[in-house]
Amino acid sequence: MTRTRWLQLALALAGVLLGLLAYRVQMDNLPLTTTARSIASVVAAWSFLVAGLVAWRRRPDNRLGPLMVAVCFALLARQFRYSHDDLAFTAFFLIGELGYALVAHVALAYPSGRVTDRVERVFLYVAYVVAVAFPLAILLFHDGEQRLRYFDSRPHDSLIAVVSDGGVVDFLQDAYAVTGYGVLATTFVLLIGRKLLLATPRARRILWPLLLAAVVAALRAVLDSALSFSSRPPAFTVDLFWWQVIALTALPLAILWGLLRARLARSHVSELVVHLEETAPGDLRDELAVALEDPTLELGLWLPERDEYVDAQGATFLVPEDGPTRAVTLIEHDGEPLAVLAHDPTLRDEPKLVEAVAAAARLALVNARLHAEVRAQLETVQESRARIVSAADEERRRIERDLHDGAQQRLVALALELRAAERQLGGSGDPNVERLLSSTADELQVAVEELRELAQGIHPGILTQGGLGHALEQLAARAPLPVTVDATDERFTPEVEATAYFVACEALTNVVKHAGATRASIAARRDDGLLVIEVSDDGNGGAEESVGSGLRGLTDRVEARGGSLVVESLAGSGTRVRGVIPCAS
Amino acid sequence: MRVVIAEDSVLLREGLARVLTDGGFEVVAQAANADELKKAVRRFKPDVAIVDVRMPPTQTDEGARAAVELRAEQPDVAVLLLSQVIEATHALALVSESAEGFGYLLKDRVLEIDDFLDAVRRVGRGGTAIDPEVISQLLGRRREEGPLDELTPREREVLELMAQGLSNKGICEKLVVSPKTVETHVNSIFWKLGLLPAQDEHRRVLAVLAYLRS
Repeated sequence: MTRTRWLQLALALAGVLLGLLAYRVQMDNLPLTTTARSIASVVAAWSFLVAGLVAWRRRPDNRLGPLMVAVCFALLARQFRYSHDDLAFTAFFLIGELGYALVAHVALAYPSGRVTDRVERVFLYVAYVVAVAFPLAILLFHDGEQRLRYFDSRPHDSLIAVVSDGGVVDFLQDAYAVTGYGVLATTFVLLIGRKLLLATPRARRILWPLLLAAVVAALRAVLDSALSFSSRPPAFTVDLFWWQVIALTALPLAILWGLLRARLARSHVSELVVHLEETAPGDLRDELAVALEDPTLELGLWLPERDEYVDAQGATFLVPEDGPTRAVTLIEHDGEPLAVLAHDPTLRDEPKLVEAVAAAARLALVNARLHAEVRAQLETVQESRARIVSAADEERRRIERDLHDGAQQRLVALALELRAAERQLGGSGDPNVERLLSSTADELQVAVEELRELAQGIHPGILTQGGLGHALEQLAARAPLPVTVDATDERFTPEVEATAYFVACEALTNVVKHAGATRASIAARRDDGLLVIEVSDDGNGGAEESVGSGLRGLTDRVEARGGSLVVESLAGSGTRVRGVIPCAS
Repeated sequence: MRVVIAEDSVLLREGLARVLTDGGFEVVAQAANADELKKAVRRFKPDVAIVDVRMPPTQTDEGARAAVELRAEQPDVAVLLLSQVIEATHALALVSESAEGFGYLLKDRVLEIDDFLDAVRRVGRGGTAIDPEVISQLLGRRREEGPLDELTPREREVLELMAQGLSNKGICEKLVVSPKTVETHVNSIFWKLGLLPAQDEHRRVLAVLAYLRS
């Protein structure tokens, strides 16, 4: 056994022994007490001893354990001041009030064991000084024959009395009731309220039972202070006694609950392990939030190749600063950063819990990181796919423009020259030359027409000139079967218009080639930020998306624009191709 | 008849100018883009402006837009649009207000020089010239059985020429028939389609186009 263990054992035995003695002292010296009341006051002290020892064993680094053991001894010591032994009376009267200051200390130090807030520290200094100063002053002026408040009528002699003055002692007792039980207890209640107000949601859940008990105890002191100046019947003070005992016993129990709660939370870890089996990478944060009991938890996954943290969606995750309002825990894997948790600062007091959760989730985190990586890559690929399609469309547009504005213009101009020359000759020249001119001009005209058809196929000029609606009309007019068109006249971006046009074009080609249809229809409309293009026919149906490579290419094209393509084709009920393309206006 | 040509291809512009000059027109100005066109029209007040739909800088439809603007600004200047591509709905959208002094032809039509010069002249006199492609698209789209099916092939031909904006005289030259025959055909067409006989040839075009479009 270590020295600490021996010390704890000794303190336990001493506490038990002192408790028994304290019971005896009360029974012997307090005429108003009963067996029940004497036992209750000892049990209240012992509850601090038990809770303190448990806390000390479980969290050796936390001062709360030793502090609570100290509360136990201070509360027991308080009972020894009723003794008629002069030394015992003097010594224990002096330290008899320290117990209450220690209780306040425990409440304010919970759960970390340290009081870091400046206001709270000042308050505790004042409380300790008041708790010793007033008893000391009373002892200095005490007259052995004078009955002290709460004491029996037999004399108690102060060994350090300098001047015996009953008036001063009465004044000091009143003053103490006002400052100690009145002002300080009220301030304590206000401090607790402030603490709860400033606490994070998670901290509040841990704090409230203890603080409730502390406030109940403090309010009792405030009431006591008020009653000490009134002439109420003594029966009422009996109730106050039980109030105090219950509140004091509840306080260490609340702390024990807090400790058991942490253990309870650790049982979440085993649940977490089970749940992680079937948790989708995107829901990992939620599972961790439950296990750590912190709804505000944020999870960032480290992507080495992007040199940054990302969230489950693959978007950049900005790690908050580790400070008083937010705590940050790094999770490593094989010495490399794996993930980062941004969480409630109260979790700093439960490093084991965080560690256990991190350990349990490590594999899932590795998995989630892969998932995030893939998502990030997918985004890149999608962007590049859209760029490729845009580039191809742009290229088609450029070729069409070049053909029209370059070659075609030139050919038309050339043919015009020939026609003009033909007219100038006007039958006056060599008939062979005139025939040659004429046939060359005719050939050129045919070439111009073919070139126009070719350019149209590459990218319909009317799409740029007149918009999607007009281009679809033209498409329908050229089809070898009746096609009705119901299309919006609205203009969209060239990318969206081209995508929709080629959907209609390819679908209509399929109708002509495969469907055996007698009629078809094309519809294009804007629907809530989407352009919906639909081509349906009354043909055989049964077209499979996988069959036509044209449809496959179409699907690629539409998806590259972030849209989707659906082919409904039941045998015997025609085919309907429906493309949906995002077109944010 | 005074003409302004707006066409960004120098070769074609020059060719057009020569053909028009040879055909007895006076080419008062040549423009290479929409801005030059507007300036030239404001300055020379020509009878006809022959305008390429696609011109710099965007090569989309600035010619058409400039034409719409000019028609609103100076209704007495006739406009003949030349387009690389023809699409009926787009064409009709441009004629919707009035067909007077307006033409819309496929660019290749300039190669049929006589027809082209005739179209320029017609438009310059406040008439109409609609590309045969527009008419055939309008006719081709009609799939339902209707009064059009009751027309004889000859009547159909006359209808198409009417829709293109040709006068009775133009039609009889084109079909090589007597004016009286053409008049008979026209009356028969109007009767079969249930249209009121039009007072003049300008309105006749709009009525026929409106019928075909419906």
